[in-house]
Formats: sequence, C-alpha cells, structure tokens
Amino acid sequence: MNCAKWKIDIALYAGGDLPANRLARTLAHLEVCAECRLLADDLRAGQTLLSALQDEPLEDAMAAHVRQRVLARLPLEEAGIARRYWRWAPAAALVLAAILTIPWRSEKQAPLARAENAPPKVAEAPPAVAKAQRPVARRHRRAKPQPSEPLLVQLVTDDPNIVIYWLVDPKPQGD
Amino acid sequence: MEPQGIALPVTAYPPDRSDDLAAFERIMARCERRVLRVALRLLNNQQDAQDAAQEVFLRLYKHLGRLDLDDARGCEPWLFRVTVNVCHDMARKRGRSVALEDVTLEDGPAVPPGAQHGLERAQQLELVRRALGRLGEKERAALVLRDVEGLSTREVAAILGSSEATVRSQISTARLKVRDFTSRLLRRRT
Repeated sequence: MNCAKWKIDIALYAGGDLPANRLARTLAHLEVCAECRLLADDLRAGQTLLSALQDEPLEDAMAAHVRQRVLARLPLEEAGIARRYWRWAPAAALVLAAILTIPWRSEKQAPLARAENAPPKVAEAPPAVAKAQRPVARRHRRAKPQPSEPLLVQLVTDDPNIVIYWLVDPKPQGD
Repeated sequence: MEPQGIALPVTAYPPDRSDDLAAFERIMARCERRVLRVALRLLNNQQDAQDAAQEVFLRLYKHLGRLDLDDARGCEPWLFRVTVNVCHDMARKRGRSVALEDVTLEDGPAVPPGAQHGLERAQQLELVRRALGRLGEKERAALVLRDVEGLSTREVAAILGSSEATVRSQISTARLKVRDFTSRLLRRRT
C-alpha cells in the first residue's frame, strides 16, 4: 500500500495535533495498515523522548552564570538608557527654539520679500486679481499690535536643581 | 514688568526603575531555566545557549516599560519569541546548521547493535538531540516549543508569528525527519 500521503496526518495524530475532521479517516487507515501503525508507534516513542528532554536537569551553574553576567551588565544598560534620554534633550531644545522663533522671523522678512518680488509682478501679470489682493490681507495682519514684553520660556527638568530659562525678545530687531 | 512665562516639562532622566528591577529579577528567576533550555535545544551548544539567554534577559530589561511586569506568565510568550529570534540570529552568524544529508555514521552516539528499544535511555536522548540539531531552524523551533516545551499549537503559532496550519505542517515534517534520522542511524549501526 502506498501510504506516503498518510505520513503527515499520522505525524500529527501521534502528537495529538490532527484536526478533528481528519481524525476519523486516519484512524480508519491505521486499522487496516500495519506499516502505518508501526510508523505511529515510532512517532509516539519519539514524542516521549522529546518531552523527556524537558525533564533533563540543567546544571545550576549554567543558570547562575547567566544570571551573574546579566546582573553585571545592568549598570551599563542603565547608563545606556539614560544616555538615550539625554541624547534627545538638545535636539528637543533646538526644535522648540526653532518653533518659537519662526513666527517673528517670518513677520520680519515678509516686507522684504514683497519688496523684491513686487516690480516684475506689476510689469508681467496684470490679470492676477487674487495676487493683487494678497498684500491687503497681510496689511491686516501687520496691523496687529506686537507684544512688547519679553517672552520667558522655562524648561523644567526632572532635576529640581536644573531649570533652564530662555528669554525671547518678540520685537523685530532694527525697529 | 512681569515677563510672560511658559513652563515646559522636559524629561531629562529616565523614570524611576527600582520597582521594574525587582520585577525583572522575579521574571528572570522564574524563566531563566526555560529560556536556557530552549536556547540549548535550538543551538545545541552550552556556551552559545548561555550567550543567547544573556542577550534575551538584557533585551527584557530594555523593554521593561512595555511589558506587564505583574503578570510573569504573560511575559513568557514574549521571552520565547525573543529567545527564538536571538538563537536564529546567533546560529546564522556562526553557521552551525548541518543538513540532514551531511550526517555520517560517526556523528551518532555509541549505540550497541540492536533495535532502538535496546538503547539506554541516555543514548536515546542523545540521538534525539542530534536529530533536533539536523532540522531546519523553523522546524526545530516549532518542534522544540510544541513537543519539548509542551506549548499548544496556537501558542507556538503566536510565538513564531505563523499560522496554526503552518506550525502543524512544520511539526509534522519535523517529527518525520527526527524519526527518519534516528531509524537511519540505527540501521547503519546494525
């Protein structure tokens, strides 16, 4: 009898992994095939040996050695974790500074940019109605009163002894 | 004039980890033997298994904040997954895998003539250990977790990131290969 196609199912059956819908067919085949019964017996014996590997005692020294090495490495890992936190602090401060600085810079540079672009626009594109309206809107924005007080940014760290103060002058320079 | 102030909390130090450390030591005490045993079965080498177990627990330490440390049992699937990954990385780096076809008679343990049933228990176990060492890494991992560690097919699938059908296919193939390997070795001996 050619039983090659049964091998997979018998291997699953031996370990109790055969899905229920294939179990009845496999059992029926095992009833009539001595060769496959032998295979199933061999596989079950193999299963017993494999599960016996779990009961094999590990040397205490082996586990103790690993524990010792891990615990010895922990201070280094801790230092590495702290370094990872600190590594981002300057970057975060730079991003924050950039975010707070950009609005005033753009306010300062806007009139210059308009002055540079204005002559060619007037000469080349008279039908651009939308572009002509843009300066009106900006004029409204510029009309807002500028805050005159200095802005104080306080960076609070986990260390109560370290507080970073940063003064930002909101007035555009040169006014 | 009072300046306008904005207070921004900046975390300059990692959070306090003393509780985590106690939990880490608990988990390590509970799982170290199991991790070592799996690593030993996957790598077939004591020194490599120790190195792998060390790496697994250092990774556990790095990921303490992301795991539920009150549930030591809940950490086990994560530990098994990391163990399997670390062992596979190590095995690839060191190129230890040996194809089944490469096995020679001399590779086998000293087996007296006769059937498998006549072997001493220790020799039988050695034979199975060697057979495990000849499996491909995925089949070996599936078989070790299912048949040696006794996890369910579903748990093995979750650990290996495969479907249950894939795991069933891997373990059935692996069982047949182990059986063929041991039978072939015994036939050559007798």
